[in-house]
Amino acid sequence: TMDKFRMIFQFLQSNQESFMNGICGIMALASAQMYSAFDFNCPCLPGYNAAYSAGILLAPPLVLFLLGLVMNNNVSMLAEEWKRPPGRRAKDPAVLRYMFCSMAQRALIAPVVWVAVTLLDGKCFLCAFCTAVPVTALGNGSLAPGLPAPELARLLARVPCPEIYDGDWLLAREVAVRYLRCISQALGWSFVLLTTLLAFVVRSVRPCFTQVAFLKSKYWSHYIDIERKLFDETCTEHAKAFAKVCIQQFFEAMNHDLELGHTHGTLATAPASAAAPTPPDGAEEEREKLRGITDQGTMNRLLTSWHKCKPPLQLGREEPLLMGNGWAGGGPRPPRKEVATYFSKV
Amino acid sequence: MDKFRMLFQHFQSSSESVMNGICLLLAVVTVKLYSSFDFNCPCLARYNALYGLGLLLAPPLALFLCGLLANRQSVVMVEEWRRPAGHRRKDPGIIRYMCSSVLQRALAAPLVWILLALLDGKCFVCAFSNSVDPEKFLDFANMTPSQVQFFLAKVPCKEDELVRNSPARKAVSRYLRCLSQAIGWSVTLLLIIAAFLARCLRPCFDQTGFLQRRYWSNYVDLEQKLFDETCCEHARDFAHRCVLHFFASMQSELQARGLHRDNAGRSPEPPAVPEPPEVLDSGSGKAHLRAISSREQVDRLLSTWYSRKPPLDLAASPGLCGGGLSHRAPTFALGTRLSQHTDV
Repeated sequence: TMDKFRMIFQFLQSNQESFMNGICGIMALASAQMYSAFDFNCPCLPGYNAAYSAGILLAPPLVLFLLGLVMNNNVSMLAEEWKRPPGRRAKDPAVLRYMFCSMAQRALIAPVVWVAVTLLDGKCFLCAFCTAVPVTALGNGSLAPGLPAPELARLLARVPCPEIYDGDWLLAREVAVRYLRCISQALGWSFVLLTTLLAFVVRSVRPCFTQVAFLKSKYWSHYIDIERKLFDETCTEHAKAFAKVCIQQFFEAMNHDLELGHTHGTLATAPASAAAPTPPDGAEEEREKLRGITDQGTMNRLLTSWHKCKPPLQLGREEPLLMGNGWAGGGPRPPRKEVATYFSKV
Repeated sequence: MDKFRMLFQHFQSSSESVMNGICLLLAVVTVKLYSSFDFNCPCLARYNALYGLGLLLAPPLALFLCGLLANRQSVVMVEEWRRPAGHRRKDPGIIRYMCSSVLQRALAAPLVWILLALLDGKCFVCAFSNSVDPEKFLDFANMTPSQVQFFLAKVPCKEDELVRNSPARKAVSRYLRCLSQAIGWSVTLLLIIAAFLARCLRPCFDQTGFLQRRYWSNYVDLEQKLFDETCCEHARDFAHRCVLHFFASMQSELQARGLHRDNAGRSPEPPAVPEPPEVLDSGSGKAHLRAISSREQVDRLLSTWYSRKPPLDLAASPGLCGGGLSHRAPTFALGTRLSQHTDV
């Protein structure tokens, strides 16, 4: 079973969409758990009931929706893709729309779960509409018209609170509660049915329209996601290699310094190894990882041109990259080839 | 165990992931702490507000400081801020980036505590029970103001004799809890909207600057970690050589004494030169570590690392790191100086 778990974990991690599906499922469960842990506390005062219930019905779903979007790394990716200068790669609005739709769909699941659970449970609906119960039909209809409206409202507002309800002479509390809960559950199940139907229709009808465009958008949106992740990983690798070489050079410089200006005899044999500037074996590998980018200014230029002028989606072209950014023509080709082989390994 | 190892590996994959993991752990600890804490309102007129507000604000402060402590990057940031410029100029943008990332992660646990406290309501009820307007509740019409205040102070305590089973207490308590929950959800909503806007709108401003700052702050973090590892390696090497040197010199001393006792007449053999430590070292990869072999030299290396970080330019001639450290002697002098030493 550990293998299964590992497989599931790897599958979910394999790309951002699968990962987001996992997060989305977790958030739906968390939403249901949050509702059951939340202590619904109807104020039982005429003006406040409706406001409180509306708040509980609407604010947490909004929070969950935005949380679902915030936790999705694709949001900043979408914003980046939207705002970047076209450079040498045209922007495709269809891809942006696809990314937005897929993010929004996943983020909508947790709020829908919250609303459904709230309606099915009934406390929120009861709190909101207890003052609107038809007293004439359900209770002692003859006594109702005699009461002034504020007094009636105050009485009915206490229906959700069993310990302070004092209107049994007018309307039995259980009757009102059953009535409202029944309506609430009917609404809840209708809501669930409606959303499931909508999801089903969207999913099954979509291939009838624009399937080709959909496939293209899906491919390129996955591509952008993977490209960004690989770029970040390559940058981290580069930073590690840079740091290693920098520290080695620092120690070597110290080494060299000490040989030139000290008086210890035992180090007479050491300079023989350090005078020859052959670096230790590991350093060759590290220098290769640097791909020729060995100082701060060059790295900054690389990062700038990654944003301002993304390379075209065409591998194997002969023109050098970064031509417009002040680089010599012959220089960039070796790094370009390395990028191509790196992608083909993927 | 396998599960934990996999989760652990996933989080270790980059330093940002490690910090996210710590942040999450601290948030979970906060939830557990809150649910296991035994809230105990004093139910006395002036102490209620103090206790309630104190419990709402003091633990978040402690959790914030814990979050800062647990984050390795806060130390790296302070070091980067305070170091002398040396060969490598300082970029305030990097320090700002690191500061904001450290603060964001440290703020997660305190916010979880505050939101839990507001949604639960006990703190709020305790702190503000005396500030309720008695006009809202008809049950107080027959009491004098001081009696009302006394009663209100007891509202948070359900079991107190004065207020047990009193509908007025329940009404006030409900009202305050409802207010507390409304404030809690509003604060949550505001925070989430702020986070969402920050995430969405960030690429609209200075994206290239952001990419550069992120790269270099990651670099500073990695460099510090690698330097620590290299120093550890060097310390190990140093200790190894020191110990071997000690054993070798002990051995030669014993041999010399043995010879002296055995051959009283003959001139004592000169003590055997201890085996050069290089032979006992493993691997040629540590050439750059070997020259640094005394306490003063190590101290000098460490203080140079702090006061004059090497420039971010690796293409300079190898071994001199761009600008050299203390002085750069021309290579022809190398042979002459060394010949002076070998004569000793």
